Amino acid sequence: MPNKNGNVYGLTILSPIIDDESATPSHDLQIREYLATLPTGEESPFALSPGTHLCRLVVMDDVIYVGAPACEEHLHSKYLVFESNCDCDLDSYLQGLAASVPERLDAIWSHCVGYPGAANPQAFIDYMKACQIETTFYFAAVNDKSVTETLSALQTQRAVTDFIACHQHTKPEQLQKEFTEFMAVLKAAPLPRPGGMAPRRDIKTGGRNE
Amino acid sequence: MSNINGKVYAMNVITPMKPWKTWILRGLFFVLGHVKPLQNDLINLSFIEFARWVILPRRRFPFLANGQVKEDLKYDYLLFFSNFNGTWNQYIDAFSAVLSRGLNMIWRWSEKFPGSVPVTPFKEYIARVQFDTDYYYTAYPYATANDLKSAHIVQSALDSLNQRTQACSPEQFAEAYLKFVLRVQAHLGETGEAPVVS
Repeated sequence: MPNKNGNVYGLTILSPIIDDESATPSHDLQIREYLATLPTGEESPFALSPGTHLCRLVVMDDVIYVGAPACEEHLHSKYLVFESNCDCDLDSYLQGLAASVPERLDAIWSHCVGYPGAANPQAFIDYMKACQIETTFYFAAVNDKSVTETLSALQTQRAVTDFIACHQHTKPEQLQKEFTEFMAVLKAAPLPRPGGMAPRRDIKTGGRNE
Repeated sequence: MSNINGKVYAMNVITPMKPWKTWILRGLFFVLGHVKPLQNDLINLSFIEFARWVILPRRRFPFLANGQVKEDLKYDYLLFFSNFNGTWNQYIDAFSAVLSRGLNMIWRWSEKFPGSVPVTPFKEYIARVQFDTDYYYTAYPYATANDLKSAHIVQSALDSLNQRTQACSPEQFAEAYLKFVLRVQAHLGETGEAPVVS
C-alpha cells in the first residue's frame, strides 16, 4: 500500500477552503495568519499529540501554469494541504490528534468546507479520510521506528558519546560497574519532548592539535 | 511562512501532466516500489528523511459539496513533497547529479519539464513549480537523516551489549565493550542547532 513504508504512514490531505466573498479577511488568509502564530517546537499541537515525525500545512492557492504551449487553468477552490509522516495506523493517529488538540484543529480546519469539528472524533476521522489523497510513492529513510523510539535513540546516542569519551583506559572492573550505573541512569532519564531542541552542550575540546 | 525547521527543509512542488501520461507514471512508481535495488540512489542520498510523490487526477480533487464548486481541469497533477537536510541549492544539485535518470523518468511526463541536466533550467523549473510551506513541524529538529540512522545503530548495539553485561566477568565485559566501541564509533556524531546558511 503506497501510503505506508514499513511502519510509517504517509498521510496526504487536501481540504477545500471556504470561498466566501463576504469574509474579511478571506478564509485562506485567516488560516495563514493563524499558522504563522502556531508554535513549531515543544508546544506545537503535533508535539502535544502522539505519533507525528514530521508534518506540514500549506495553503495551495492554485495550480501553477508552466508556460506555453501548456494550457493555463485554475482551481475553483483553494486547498489546505496537510502532509504528515506518522506512526501507523491512520485511525489511531487521527483519533490522537482529535483527543489531544481539538481547539487547535478547529482553529485551522474550521475555515474548510464541510469540517465537522474535532469534538466528535469519528466525524473528524471521516472528514479527514474524505479529503485524503492516496500517496503514489512514499520514501522514508527510517521506516521501522516510532517517534518515541527515535527520540530515545537520539538521547542514547548523546549519552553513549559522553560515556565513551569519559571512560577511555578505564580498568575492566570499574568500567563494568560504571556501565551498569550508566544504564540505570539512562533508563530512568525522562524522554526528550518531541519538537524540542537537543540539550545545549559545551563544545568538547581536546586532542593533540589543540 | 517557513520552509525550514531546524535541520529540515520542506519542499512542495506541483506539475501538470496530460491524463494519459499519468498511467505510465503510475506504472513506473509501481515498479520502483517493488524493485528495491531501483531505490538505491534515493537511499544513498542520505539527506532525505521522508519524500513522496502523489498523482492527483483531475477528477479526484476532494469535493465535499456544501457550496464548493467542482473542479474542471484538463490536467492531472503530480505533487512532490520532500523533507531534506541542507539547502535548496545543495538538494537540487545533488538530485541533478546523482538521480538525473530517475528524476527524468518521473518528471518527463510533466508539461515543459526541461530535464534534470543541465542543472540551470532544472532549477528554474523547480523554482517555478514550487510553493511555500505555511507551517512546518518536526519531532527532532536538531537531527538529520544520518543522525537518525546512526542513533538507531547505537541504540541497537547498546541494547545488545547491555544484555551481555549481566553474566560476564569484568574482562569479558571489557572485551565486549571494546567491540561495541568499534561498532558505534562512526555513529557518535554531535547533534544540535543547524548551522546558519545564507
